[in-house]
Amino acid sequence: MSKPVQLFCWHFMAYPYLPADFDEQYETGWITVPNALWDREKSRGLLNEYIDQLAYADTLGFDGMVLNEHHQNIYGLMPSPNLIAAALTQKTSLGKIVVLANLLPLHGNPLRVAEEYAMLDNMSNGRIIAGFAPGGGQETFNYNTPAAIQREQFWEAVELIHQAWTREGPFTFEGKHYPLRYVNPWPQPIQQPYPQIWIPGSQSRETMRQIAKRGYCYFLSSRVHGGAIAKARQEFAKILQDAGSKYDPFRMGILMSAYVSDTDEQAHEESHEGVWYFLKNCLKGHLRNFNGRSLTSGPGIPNMELSDYRRLLEGSKPGRAMLGDADDWDALKKAQSIIVGSPDTVYRQIMDLIRETQVGNLLIQFHLGNMRDDLARKSMRLFATQVAPRLRDDSRVAFASHFAKVADVS
Amino acid sequence: MDTKKREIEVRGRKVALIEAGAGAPLVYLHGFADVHGVAGDLLAFHRGLAQGNKVIAPAHPGCNGSSEFHEGNRIEDFLFHYCEVFDALGLDRFALAGHCAGGWIAAEYAVRHPERVTRLVLIGASGLFVPGEHVGDIFINSQPDRGTSLASLRHMLFASDDAPEALRYYPDGRGELDDEMRRYGMLRFGSAIGFKPPYFYNRPLVERLYRARMPSLVVWGADDHMVPVAHGKAYAERLGNGSALTLIAGAGHAAHLEKPDEVLAQMKPLLGA
Repeated sequence: MSKPVQLFCWHFMAYPYLPADFDEQYETGWITVPNALWDREKSRGLLNEYIDQLAYADTLGFDGMVLNEHHQNIYGLMPSPNLIAAALTQKTSLGKIVVLANLLPLHGNPLRVAEEYAMLDNMSNGRIIAGFAPGGGQETFNYNTPAAIQREQFWEAVELIHQAWTREGPFTFEGKHYPLRYVNPWPQPIQQPYPQIWIPGSQSRETMRQIAKRGYCYFLSSRVHGGAIAKARQEFAKILQDAGSKYDPFRMGILMSAYVSDTDEQAHEESHEGVWYFLKNCLKGHLRNFNGRSLTSGPGIPNMELSDYRRLLEGSKPGRAMLGDADDWDALKKAQSIIVGSPDTVYRQIMDLIRETQVGNLLIQFHLGNMRDDLARKSMRLFATQVAPRLRDDSRVAFASHFAKVADVS
Repeated sequence: MDTKKREIEVRGRKVALIEAGAGAPLVYLHGFADVHGVAGDLLAFHRGLAQGNKVIAPAHPGCNGSSEFHEGNRIEDFLFHYCEVFDALGLDRFALAGHCAGGWIAAEYAVRHPERVTRLVLIGASGLFVPGEHVGDIFINSQPDRGTSLASLRHMLFASDDAPEALRYYPDGRGELDDEMRRYGMLRFGSAIGFKPPYFYNRPLVERLYRARMPSLVVWGADDHMVPVAHGKAYAERLGNGSALTLIAGAGHAAHLEKPDEVLAQMKPLLGA
């Protein structure tokens, strides 16, 4: 009997009080979106409302809560996810706390990240999953980190943190970007040999190779349909094999959004405002091509090797539709990234995705855009009580056959 | 005019070069909207320079066939790269001209090795920190608006976004694959040297310009939307011989592409051709 699919509740912590005509009036939700739009009075208590939703997920039996780091935008009001994680260590007691991720090149000294994760691991009694990421295009502009050396800095920072958790200190770290004479962090993490490490990637093989070599978990950060996820999983499985390791569904995670209500119709009705606020406002400047300027990746964020960039150009057309370009529910359904419906509908769509992709960690965003607290909680509750148990049961079976296949090969 | 393309190797890295003309050597260091930065070969302006000089135009690391210099991430690293390139080419004393980031490198080289630089020409050169006058963000503007529009990038690099050269090299949608790759290589090079601090300056350079006492010329498009004309004034005032700033009317950042004859007319007396 295999371990069942792991179901995590991800909160993006969007700014929900934008004017109704935001999309017409403002060019982007990122970096240059005027912070005069921040309403101090309305926003009083907002971050606590969001933290409480995550604590509620813990009581509902989710396998964990997920946080991320973004800066200077309306998509996610969480420039320091470690602060939210610290609050969760005190408000929750069961699930993992997944920080996905600390953006290492944005932190002056990554030793600080090793220290903070170790603190969080102690404060949560060993429930931290430590995410590391280089940061996307927006963050190169936000913190002025040069894209051309972002990955080199990133992997050096990963190496530093890994050593800080596994080598006896004090030792000297002879880094190019982070040279340190004394590395000897106190406290050390509770989890042995160190907390699980997750690293996001958007189908870059080099990222997969590093993750495979180091024994970490791969999180596919692109919002793509099941076929593309399955393809990324196949590539990752091949790379793991080349590295002398084996794919299992828990070496990989994916991101999706869901809204569950009693019927399909009710689900669409209740989530309509939040979903379209998320797509049109939060994704403007990010995953939206036909309106605004996407800063997520492209020539202005030259973090790819020349040969990889050439391959990308050869295999793509300019101005393709992204998730935020969806204009109706049908288009959204095809994208397979935001799943809306009755418990039965959501179960079927997610189970199909699990079967197709064989991925074992599902990181699911429930609160979308300006969704009301009561609706987000209702959707989480219905998911936890009427969708999750079936997914767990059926995924055990689906994964068991997958493991058998792996066993046959070897 | 014949142009000759060849490659040399320095420190294990391939350097692509284009050479043309005969006469006293003139090294030309390119910018974004320029040979190597987007165009594969010399343009009318560079060919004009080669009437009377031997023009040598190396491509920066990662650009137009030159190998990337992965270890390099400070302007200093690339100056050593060019020390090697000039030595490998057997260039002892030579005239040095540069546009945009190439002008920055030319100025940095000239203050370090003034004895080797006979003439210095800067066209829309970056490199200086001028309070309140910020070099435009070429990176954000290289990201298409509404999926395909590069109008703001064209506006940054040219006097107007519908200039023929602008539309030729920076069309909406997808340009020629090789042009796209040259643009990407130049952005990647620019990111390594010119992103932090934002953008394209080395704070101590302005104080060092007094060391460049060779005859020099500072040329700027009057409508430069990327490197403000104030930078041209600062270069002209602070260079060791007190050059005058020459403005080219009706031209933007890529003045030498937009008004080649006017820029050449300014340069020829200095170059003695």
